[in-house]
Order: sequence, then structure tokens, then C-alpha cells
Amino acid sequence: MTGTILFQQLINGISLGSLYGLVAIGYTMVYGILRLINFAHGDLLMFAAYTAIYLIGIFTLPWQISFPLAMVITGLMGIVLDRCAYRPLRDAPRISLLISAIGASFLLENLAIVIIGGIPKGFPRPPMFDHVITILGVRVQVLTLYTPVITIVLLLGLLYIVYRTKVGKAMRAASKDFEATRLMGINLDRVIAITFFLGSFLAAAGGIMWAMKYPQVNPFMGVFPGLKAFIAAVLGGIGNIVGAVIGGFLLGLGEIMIVAFFPEVSQYKDAFAFVILILVLLFRPTGIMGEPMIDKT
Amino acid sequence: MSKERRNLLLNIMGILVLFVILYLFNEYGTDYQIRILNNMAVFITLAVSYNLVNGICGILHLGPNAFITIGAYTSALLTMSAAEKQMTYIIVPLVWPLNVLHTPFVVSLLLGGLMAAVFAFAISFPVFRVRGDYLAIVTLGFGEVIRVLANALQGVTNGPLGLKGLVPYTNLWWSWGVAVLTIIAITKLINSSYGRAMKSIREDEIAARAMGIDPFKHLLMAFLISAFFCGVAGGLLAHLITTISPTLFTFFLTFNLLIIIVVGGLGSTTGAVIGAALFAWGGEALRIVERPTDLGFLKIPGIPGMRMVIFSIILMLVIIFARRGIMGRSEFSWDWLLSKLGWKEKGF
Amino acid sequence: MGDFFQLNDLVMQFGGLTAVKDFSIELQAGELVGLIGPNGAGKTTVFNMITGFLTPTSGQVRWQGEEITGFPVHKVTAQGIARTFQNIRLFTDLTVLENVMISFHQRIRTFFWEAMLGFPTYRREEKRIRESAMAFLQELGLAHLAKEKAGGLAYGQQRRLEIARALATRPKLLLLDEPAAGMNPQETNELAVLVRELRDKYALTIFLIEHDMKFVMGLCERIKVLDYGITIAEGTPAEIQSNQAVIKAYLGEPK
Repeated sequence: MTGTILFQQLINGISLGSLYGLVAIGYTMVYGILRLINFAHGDLLMFAAYTAIYLIGIFTLPWQISFPLAMVITGLMGIVLDRCAYRPLRDAPRISLLISAIGASFLLENLAIVIIGGIPKGFPRPPMFDHVITILGVRVQVLTLYTPVITIVLLLGLLYIVYRTKVGKAMRAASKDFEATRLMGINLDRVIAITFFLGSFLAAAGGIMWAMKYPQVNPFMGVFPGLKAFIAAVLGGIGNIVGAVIGGFLLGLGEIMIVAFFPEVSQYKDAFAFVILILVLLFRPTGIMGEPMIDKT
Repeated sequence: MSKERRNLLLNIMGILVLFVILYLFNEYGTDYQIRILNNMAVFITLAVSYNLVNGICGILHLGPNAFITIGAYTSALLTMSAAEKQMTYIIVPLVWPLNVLHTPFVVSLLLGGLMAAVFAFAISFPVFRVRGDYLAIVTLGFGEVIRVLANALQGVTNGPLGLKGLVPYTNLWWSWGVAVLTIIAITKLINSSYGRAMKSIREDEIAARAMGIDPFKHLLMAFLISAFFCGVAGGLLAHLITTISPTLFTFFLTFNLLIIIVVGGLGSTTGAVIGAALFAWGGEALRIVERPTDLGFLKIPGIPGMRMVIFSIILMLVIIFARRGIMGRSEFSWDWLLSKLGWKEKGF
Repeated sequence: MGDFFQLNDLVMQFGGLTAVKDFSIELQAGELVGLIGPNGAGKTTVFNMITGFLTPTSGQVRWQGEEITGFPVHKVTAQGIARTFQNIRLFTDLTVLENVMISFHQRIRTFFWEAMLGFPTYRREEKRIRESAMAFLQELGLAHLAKEKAGGLAYGQQRRLEIARALATRPKLLLLDEPAAGMNPQETNELAVLVRELRDKYALTIFLIEHDMKFVMGLCERIKVLDYGITIAEGTPAEIQSNQAVIKAYLGEPK
């Protein structure tokens, strides 16, 4: 393999990984507080992509307005999801919460089929992202370069909120000790709603970039990115925001590199992430950045 | 006559009545009715064995579709003749010894179940190292890995083309025979000391360990038994629809089973049976909503989404507002039925 | 000295925090020993290390001449060490009888397939388990509640059921974690009588944690006092009652 191709794959891997990372943040934040895998999180990618398509197509808004607006709408959708599917089950057994999450995921996917139809739609990629430049002899679409940059900017913004604002402090407290935070008179429902908003907002960014990268939007487009992003979150150490992004980068790079080095296994590509998950759970269940879990008696 | 003997007698009579009804349908029923009854029996087998893990042990296992796939392919490969296999595997030939093995249907079902249990054992170590949501995602991942393998290992599964033209061995006797045996075996297990141990893990794993219960051993036991019966049901399914391919066994199948046991009542075998029967019947009845309908102002096209929307909503409504489902954790018993009918204990 | 049961220099650290430091004790067969100390002193942590819920950072648990440090919980129970829990942990959705029957499962001789196929060998064993479990319920005055759900029992009955369940594992050493918590004086007195009776009848050695001083002083032959994970006193009830360090730990430094 030549250095050029390796460099090309490296860029692709980082780009894919940053998308996983963006989506993984939402999983890790929700899991940190509710100890719940929000199965419907991946479907918010799909929701964001369709929303952006309609904002551009029907309301003829320019993408500079449509994309952020779609992200905000998806963020609000995250709040709705929590309100309808999870909040009524706060004191229920964990298995109920997870079943509700699976139900919500199927509901979103199939509502999309019913309302929009199962036929993939093209995504209107703004021309400025199509531009191709040459770095070190490698021709790269600028979208591939923007993706990690946007991810880092959004991550920094999120870290600012989590570590420098009052609501961020409440989030961190809730993920440390849910009950104690409730007893301290903090409005947990509000904190959770904001968590869902932020996670979904970032997932929407991931979804829109995903749709620009693979411009075929269909009702199930969020399933695999969602599952893999969750695995990225576990890899990075669940509950840890920076870890989620690092896990995303590692998973994205790993997936691209394995196919690049061993093209004969490309048809097993989708199984790779799960093998990683099993290995992590076997050898380091707390992930790369996670604290050791103490068995509570 | 003791209560025990009376109940045994009533059980035998109940099964006889069931088979008389099946005989009548077999002779006079329409193909449509027979298909629904076959589906019902297969779903009962699946739901009752799935409930053993999710309802009795209280863990969320999301990979039964993997074991159904394994059972279906194993069984199908064993009943196909060598000539059929040669004709089917046109891209990549079937590997030895599968290309020459040929067994009777019943043997293929048992081996399908055993193969599923072998796979279940192989993944049990990573699966039971974790609990809760992690366990759910690992088992879900296993289902996906099996699907990827079914697509990729063309020399074994014939890839995306699948297997066609299987002999339709599965009839009402096979499907219901297996369903009844599954119900009996699993009910006996649940009511035994082993079943109590599984329930104790569900109730409080820490206390169960302190009372000398090894959680790994018992969760594994439930997992393997459940996988075995899912594998057998997979074999039945393969020889019912006669065409199998990887797309048949996606997470949708698991989702359907989850709805069945949640609606029936997690932890109740009776509930799993009722849920499966409702699902097989209701699933067909609901096809109406997927036919193109013209309401004048609104045209609902005939797409396969509406049923799943309804199923998802039912699942969420049940889990949020009626968590215990139809049966809760209760089971049907003759004592209960007879007392409802005003039967006096002394009457016997 | 016999080698019935020994704890040698047990240490338990969580991250940077030392919950228990250099805890040692030796129990003779048939003894009734108490472990007391203010809240958060690390008493339950000691129990968790004995029963395998926690693996000590260092130190040894020795049982009948063998080291059992870090054994899985169910194997510790199989060795003959049973426990109750401070915050009652019954199988609430199962019946009282089933709760006790579960303790017999570790010694089951028939295989699961014998149960699934309804073999007579299994049915006989189930009958035997049921009868033995009933005997334990009788012993603790719970027989009339056998068919009730455990979660529906009154508080004192739940505490008794926990003891019945632990006894049914056939232990030689019984660890009771605050058995009198939440009981009124009348119930506490009855419990003291019961504990002594059970010790004699089943030849038990009992190691118990309790906050109720009257209960501990009246019942235990020997007492160990923990404070912030450190053993601050050890002796007969009379010695402990007059020990300055103990009084200080409980009442705080006089200002």
C-alpha cells in the first residue's frame, strides 16, 4: 500500500470517526444520567436528515439556516422523546425503560416509512462541500475535512456548557449520584430534558453530515450509525464525553483501516464494531477513559 | 382422586381437545386458517422459550433471531438432498460435509436446536460478564453478526440468495406438537428448583448469590435451553415457508417476540402463549391497514409500515401504562378455572 | 487455638479511600461475637469481604484451615458461611416458602433435564426440599405464611424470613447484619432469645453487626469495635462498656 492511499484512508477514517463521535456523545450523556441506552438516538440522525431535506425543499430555506434549524428541531424532538417514552418510567424497572426505548426506535422508523415512504431520498448537498482540494497529493472532498473540524468545535462548545455553566454542573452531579441530586432540590426533569436536547442536537449535526457524505436518506439510515456510535461510547468509557469522541475516532479509523488492509474481509465490515464491543467488555468493561465500576452491594 | 391426578387428567384432556380441533382444521380449514395456526404454534414455541430468559431470569436478551437463524439454516441444510444443494449453490459450492449430509426432518430439527445451543454457549462468556443494557446490546450485536455471517459465508448459507424450495414438512402436527412439548418442558423447568433459582436471580441477584446460587450457571442454563427451542422453531419455520434468506431473521423478529412476551406479561408462560396467539392472529388481521385505502381526502398507500407503527405503539402503551401485560406473572391453572366455574373441591 | 475461622489483616481500599484497615479476628466454633461501631465504620464491608462480595485489597480469610479469600459468593455459601442483609433483600415476588426453598438449591442432586422431563427422581427431591423448607419456617414461626408473597410480610417477619433463608443453606457460621434494626424492644428481646436458641440447636457460630447496644451487650460473649475502618477495642461486653476509646467514638470528643 502506498503512503498516499494510507493517508487517504487516514482522512476517511478520521472523518467517519468524528461522525461516530458526535452521535456517541448523546448516548454517553443520557447513559451517564439515566443509565439507559437510548435506542432511539440513532433514529434522530434520520429525523434530522429528513427535517433538513424538507426545510430546504419545501420551505426553500438556504442551507445556512436549514441545517442549524434542523438541529434545533431535532434537539426538541429529543426532549419530546424523553417526555413520552422515558419520563413516565423513571421509577420503573430498568428492563421496562429499555423496552420502551426499543419501541420508540421502531416507532420513529416506521412512522417515517408511513409518512415519507421507504424509498431513499437524495440529500441536497450544498455545493461548497463538494469542492475538492489536493493535500500531499491526495484529492479530498472538503466535506471530509470539515467533518472533524465541526465535531471538535461542537465538542468544545459542549464541554464549555458541561464544565462552565450551572446547568452543566447539575448534569455532572446527576450522573454522579442521581438520588442525591434529586434530594438537593435540583429539578432533574429539566436537567434531563436539557441533556436530551444537547445530545440530540449533536446527533442531528452527525445526521446531516452523514447524509451529505452518503446522500441517500432512508428511514433506517440511523440504525447502524447509531449502534456503532453506542459501541464507540462504550469503547471510550460510557459517561465520559471526551471518551465518546475518542472512541468514535478509534472505531471509525479501525473500520476503514481494516477494510483498507484486508479487502477480503470487507463483507464482514458491519460485524467489526460488535467484535470490538465484545472484546472491550471482556477485557476492559469500563472502556478507555472510564472509571472502574464498583460493585454496589 | 388427588388434585394432582385431576389436573394431570385435565391436562391430557385439554391436549386431546386441542388436537381434535387441529384435526378438524386440517381436514376442513382453509389454507389461510392453517397458515395462521402454523404461525401461531411456531410463535408460541418461540415466545415461551424467549420468556424463559427475559421473563423468568429477568435479563434483556435481544438475540433470539440469531438462534432462529442458526436453527433454520441447520435444519434446512440437513433436509435438502445432495442434488438440490448442488443446484442451489451456484456461486460458491457448499462445503463438505454439509453437501452430502442428509437426515430425516425430526433429526434436522433436533440438530438445529443443538447447533443453536452450541452457538449460545460460545457467546455466553462475554454475554454474562455484563448485565442490563450492556447485555442487551451484546446479544443484539450477536444477532447482527449472525446476519452478516449468513450473508457473507456463501459456502455455507448460499449468501443473500438464501435457500429455496425446501420440502414443506411443517404441518399442524409438527408445529403444534413441538409447541405443546415446549410448553410442558419449560413449565416443568420453571416450576422446579432450577426455575426458582432463575427467578431468585431476577428478584435479587445479590441475595441469590448469598443463598448459594451461581448466577452464571443458571443464566447459561436458561440461555442454552431457550436457544435450543428457538433453533427447533427456526427449523419448523424454514420448512413452513420453504424459502429462507438472511433478510428473514433481522432484529424485527426479535422485536416481534419482545412485543409478544411484554403484552402477554413478562415472566408468564401463559402470557407468552396468549401473546403469541394474539400476535399470529392480529398480525394477519392488521394487514388491512397496509392495503391501499382511499379516504377521499387522504390516500394511505399500501406500505409495510403501518402495522409496525401500531405494534410499536402497543408495546410502548403496555410498557408505560400496563407494565404487567395481560397475565402479569400469573399462570393459568385448573384450580383457578374450576373455582371460577363454581366447581366445588369436594365434587371430585 | 483452633483454625475454625480467622480474618488476618484484612484491608479494603476503594480508590484512595481505606474503608477497613488491618482487621483481624479469630472465632471459635460456637461463639457469639458482635461487631459494633458508628455508621460508616466499615462493618458491612467486613461482612462483604468474608462472603466474597468484595475481594480484600490485602489480607486473608481462612475457614477451617483453608484460605477462601476472594472465593465467589456462592462458593463461600457452599462452604457453610451464610449471611443476612442490613437492608432486607428477600425475593419479594416469590412466596415465603419459595424463598426458603431456594437455599436448598445449591445441594440439589437431580439434573435440570430430570426436572424438565418430570422424572420421579426429581419429584421426590422437590418433595423433600419442600418439607425441609417448611420445617425451617415452623422453627421461625412463619409456617402459617408459607404461601404469602415475601414482599407482603410485616417488617419483623421479613427479618425472621431472612434468618430462616440463611439457616436453610445449612451454615456453620452465620453472619447477621443488623438483625434487630427497626424492631421494637419486645421484638428485639424475642430475637435475642431466638438467636441463642438457633445457635444451640444448629451448633452455629454467630458473628453479628448491631446498633442496639442493649441487644449486643446482652447477647454477645465478645465484642469488637470499629471506627473509620480501624479496630479501636475488643473484649467482653463489660470491658467494652467502660472503654474510653469506644465512648469517645460514639459520643465524640468532649469539648
